[in-house]
Amino acid sequence: MADVNLTLRESKAPAGQAGTAAMPGKAPFRFPAGLGGALPALVLVTLFFVVPVVALLLRSVTEPEPGLQNYATLFGDGTYARIFLNTFLVASVVTAVTIVVAFPVAWMLAIMPPALGSIVFGVIILSMWTNLLTRTYAWMVLLQRTGVINRTLISLGIIDEPLPLINNLTGVTIGMVYIMLPFMILPLVGTLRAIDPMTLRAAALCGASPFAAFRRILLPLSLPGVAAGGLMVFVMSLGYFVTPALLGGTSNMMLAEMIAQMIQSLLNWGLGSAAAFVLLAVTMALYALQLRLVGARRVGGGA
Amino acid sequence: MTQPFLAIRAIRKTFGSVVAVHDVTVDIPKGEFLTFLGPSGSGKSTTLYAIAGFQDPTSGDVLLEGASLLSVPPHKRNIGMVFQRYTLFPHLTVAENVAFPLRVRRRPDAEVKRKVGDMLALVRLEGFADRRPGALSGGQQQRVALARALAYDPPILLMDEPLSALDKKLREEIQAEIRRIHRETGVTILYVTHDQEEALHLSDRIALFRDGRIEQIGSGEDLYLRPATDFVAGFIGNSNFLPAECLETADGAATIRLADGSVVSGVRANHDFGRGQKARLMVRPEAFRLTPDHACAGLAVEFVDTAFFGERRRVVARTASGQEIDIRPTSDMADAHRGGASGGRRVFFDPAAAFLFPA
Repeated sequence: MADVNLTLRESKAPAGQAGTAAMPGKAPFRFPAGLGGALPALVLVTLFFVVPVVALLLRSVTEPEPGLQNYATLFGDGTYARIFLNTFLVASVVTAVTIVVAFPVAWMLAIMPPALGSIVFGVIILSMWTNLLTRTYAWMVLLQRTGVINRTLISLGIIDEPLPLINNLTGVTIGMVYIMLPFMILPLVGTLRAIDPMTLRAAALCGASPFAAFRRILLPLSLPGVAAGGLMVFVMSLGYFVTPALLGGTSNMMLAEMIAQMIQSLLNWGLGSAAAFVLLAVTMALYALQLRLVGARRVGGGA
Repeated sequence: MTQPFLAIRAIRKTFGSVVAVHDVTVDIPKGEFLTFLGPSGSGKSTTLYAIAGFQDPTSGDVLLEGASLLSVPPHKRNIGMVFQRYTLFPHLTVAENVAFPLRVRRRPDAEVKRKVGDMLALVRLEGFADRRPGALSGGQQQRVALARALAYDPPILLMDEPLSALDKKLREEIQAEIRRIHRETGVTILYVTHDQEEALHLSDRIALFRDGRIEQIGSGEDLYLRPATDFVAGFIGNSNFLPAECLETADGAATIRLADGSVVSGVRANHDFGRGQKARLMVRPEAFRLTPDHACAGLAVEFVDTAFFGERRRVVARTASGQEIDIRPTSDMADAHRGGASGGRRVFFDPAAAFLFPA
């Protein structure tokens, strides 16, 4: 089934079927008729999400005194601007690298015999369930100056000096791409599986080289999956804390680290809240953009 | 010896220990409409895929104007193909789909535009250029696929059961379109189907596949009127096989004794049969007559059932030995059988239209 059939199927599908594939949390808001059943969840979300967010917003404009001075500092000061820039840079690099790494894996999963595919799928999911800190520390062991990678490369005579793989952008990118991969692969596999391999055979017979078939057929048809996964990875990367803190350097701090520092060490709740609120606003804006571009169902379903 | 346009030379394909195609050899002249007909799993699609380049044959060769195609990757073979499933590119409009093979060949815009117009006119979808494939019916989609496959003037067009997903009425409509397009473009067509009516309707020649071999190749008339084997006789059209015993064969004709003891001479036989050898006599349902004319053989039957199909009727009759046979009544019979499904009568057939095959 190629993409047409997909669209047909989706438009015919009952409303409840929309967010089936992955990430139920990202399904668009849509209240079914029986609202009563959703009431406990609604109360929970209101109490523990809406209220704190509003409190945060209030703090950012009231502390230390009422006014927008926190936002002025945030956008006016060069230090904070650099942190913003670095955050977007890291998130962009991580998203780009994740897409490039995830695409071949997803394609392989999509065309693999199902039995083998489910094993590979299991490995990917399992890595997702392994504790985040454990995985990040494992990368520290691998990447440090006297780590496995550097020692192997030196003993093979490929390099003389250890490569700076940690406490910089390289380390953060490697560690975060690894963690983000499943979030990219899952929606992408869904999209790729919906593409009829016969379509690619037809493209080949029409004279399209493998690269032309990829660029003109496979890539455009997989764009909804790339967009869904890419947005998720980008948004998650923007607010990421653990991996940048452990694998990144002090010179390229990310927004989440800054917020933690503001609130934990400097006790500057006003500035911290403002930064958190900017992060939230950017995330929401990106999500809204994607809704407009690809349509709510695709964002939710990924396929 | 003149070099054939397309030559399939001893193509053999094995999957593990299973032989899907046994040394198939066919020469196809330019402009011919050749159909690979056969039941599923008979090797017809595998042979077609070897020509398309999707499955390399285990051995053998495919030569287009003397040059081997097998070492050429699919995208450089310059072959057109229409698939069983709809394989239009869903994110492109109809016009962009047809333009696709020209775009990847980097043809100039003006030529692409003109060619797309010509092709859409050829398949009579001029008004649909800006639609998406998803907004078209199955028949329209296959016509766009046809336009796309012909846009770059390929020397050969392969068609892999292109009508199997369509309903009967639409199928017949598009068959007529395919015949017209073949006439107008003169392209050489290799067509795969399991539908014998489709094959008879469309093709110049039919290659009937069975178990990875070509059982018989020839025009539809050849296969229908002069079947080489009982498989061909059974696959093309309907046939009745009456048990018989051979008494004598000479010059492709045989004298036999039927189960009711009657002796018929002058039936056609491709093989040499030993005296007394058991055999089967094939008689087409439409070969039966109610009245004897010149040199007819007779058969005592009882009419069991009659069915009406609009343009034709079908009578089921039972022979003296209890075998049920199919009869397609001619107009003189149409009234006669209304006498009721009871009572014995004789039907007659021309021995020259009956074929003897080994039992």
